[in-house]
Amino acid sequence: MTEGVTDILSLPPQPVPDPDTEGFWQATSEGRLAMCRCQSCGLWLQPPLEVCRKCGGPTAFEDVAGTGTLYTFIIQHRPTVPGYMENTPYTVGLVELDEQRGLRLPARIIGIEPSEVKCGMAVRAELVPLPGGNFTVPVFRPAS
Amino acid sequence: MSRSLKGAAVVGIGRTPYVRKSGRTTLAMAAEAARDALADCGLTPADVDGMTCFGSAGTPRPSQVAHAIGVEDLGWALHISGGGNIVTSTVTSAATAVLSGQADVVVVYRVLGSDTRYGQALDALQVDGEGQFAGPQGYLVPPQWFAMFCRRHQYEYGSTSEDLGAIAVQQREHASHNPHAVGRTPITIDDYMASRWISDPFRLYDCTYEIDGAVAIVVTSAERAKDLPHKPVHLLGAADANRFGGSIDQWDDMTCMYSRDTAPKLWSRTGLSAKDIDVALMYDCFTFTVMATFEDFGFCKKGEVGDFFREGRATYGGDVVVNPHGGLLSEGYIHGLNHHYEAVLQLRNEAGDRQVAGAETALVTSGGCPYGGALVYGTEML
Repeated sequence: MTEGVTDILSLPPQPVPDPDTEGFWQATSEGRLAMCRCQSCGLWLQPPLEVCRKCGGPTAFEDVAGTGTLYTFIIQHRPTVPGYMENTPYTVGLVELDEQRGLRLPARIIGIEPSEVKCGMAVRAELVPLPGGNFTVPVFRPAS
Repeated sequence: MSRSLKGAAVVGIGRTPYVRKSGRTTLAMAAEAARDALADCGLTPADVDGMTCFGSAGTPRPSQVAHAIGVEDLGWALHISGGGNIVTSTVTSAATAVLSGQADVVVVYRVLGSDTRYGQALDALQVDGEGQFAGPQGYLVPPQWFAMFCRRHQYEYGSTSEDLGAIAVQQREHASHNPHAVGRTPITIDDYMASRWISDPFRLYDCTYEIDGAVAIVVTSAERAKDLPHKPVHLLGAADANRFGGSIDQWDDMTCMYSRDTAPKLWSRTGLSAKDIDVALMYDCFTFTVMATFEDFGFCKKGEVGDFFREGRATYGGDVVVNPHGGLLSEGYIHGLNHHYEAVLQLRNEAGDRQVAGAETALVTSGGCPYGGALVYGTEML
């Protein structure tokens, strides 16, 4: 294995923002968690869209409370994704945000042993830098 | 308007060996499977005027495969982008091309090579689309997606590792009677429980066996089939469902899958139900895919799949024989087109040691999570 390959595997995949998602990354870079929301009917949209999928109204990114419930999760043991090859096992969950039923974000669950994690847990977001670039990503830890 | 596929039939099947590493190109393997399928039904490349496949990177186009086997005038050619979710759509597209007169003889193929492995993501340095939210979190590949579904099912319905293991053990037992299968060594529930974690709640034996190989099937009209050597296998009906934009994370109820929406459509279009099915070729990229879709298609109630398998109801002498070839879990991962090969073999009564006695109907499912389809084959037209 060459030195270059080793370096590549040490860094996690970087997001590629597009015109619909860049507001999310702009917000996290400013220390805020914001989600895409229809300005006409109020529907939260994930992934983000230019206009509302239901009513066609304009959308904007609005700050969310950063609290939610763990809908489901996995404990990743097999080294599979670059940036995480040396960090197994780790926990990734789908967090259902309090703003809307079914509005979910994938995120690492931190501050708790993997064996203690349970579906239905209350969690809250914090923002951490993503190694390898200039992005900031949300992770969640137990709310209590 | 009729939803029927009446008048379309599978008349030929072909495949390459299935191996861990072939050292061959995907074009070479697809061409071999296509030639094998044509030879099986007594046709030649000169008879072929349609070809279709599904897949993404690394998949040779229909025009390439046609050229490689000596088809000089391919008319209808359709390359459908997608994976296991789109197998049914690909086969039914071939059938509708035949029924509408766009083509007379269509070869459907799928090929996978060593350079297309789905279980790792070592070249995923940048991710766009919905993956831009998941990839940076170390969440990027299919076993992780399906394991998310499985965990929620365990939480809501109390399904267990032993229930998943019952599926893995049964399918391996079936594969042990299939000389073409890659995974033929029987396993016990203890072997399953001792196998290493991949993405908890998935262990090694919950995951498909990724291999190199190709499958091809030949679709033509029931009328044309009369002149061909094998008894035709008829398409009795098909249905697909594609909701939530294909999003894993936003799918509303992760204890079930696309099959929640596909099953009622399929049973309505065919007038059949689970109790009418002799052989069930359940798409099984993971054990949990079988569990969720088996419930959705109505073979048993939610949370009962483990007992169903443990009680011998999913094998010979039971209610329905599930994946007699061993499935993607043990025969090997040809993305579900090998399920169609097995369905045809069983309905022709040519499956040898693993023949399901008197098999007249076969359900073949494809896909998982928010999107997928299913079709029913029969020995007689409905």
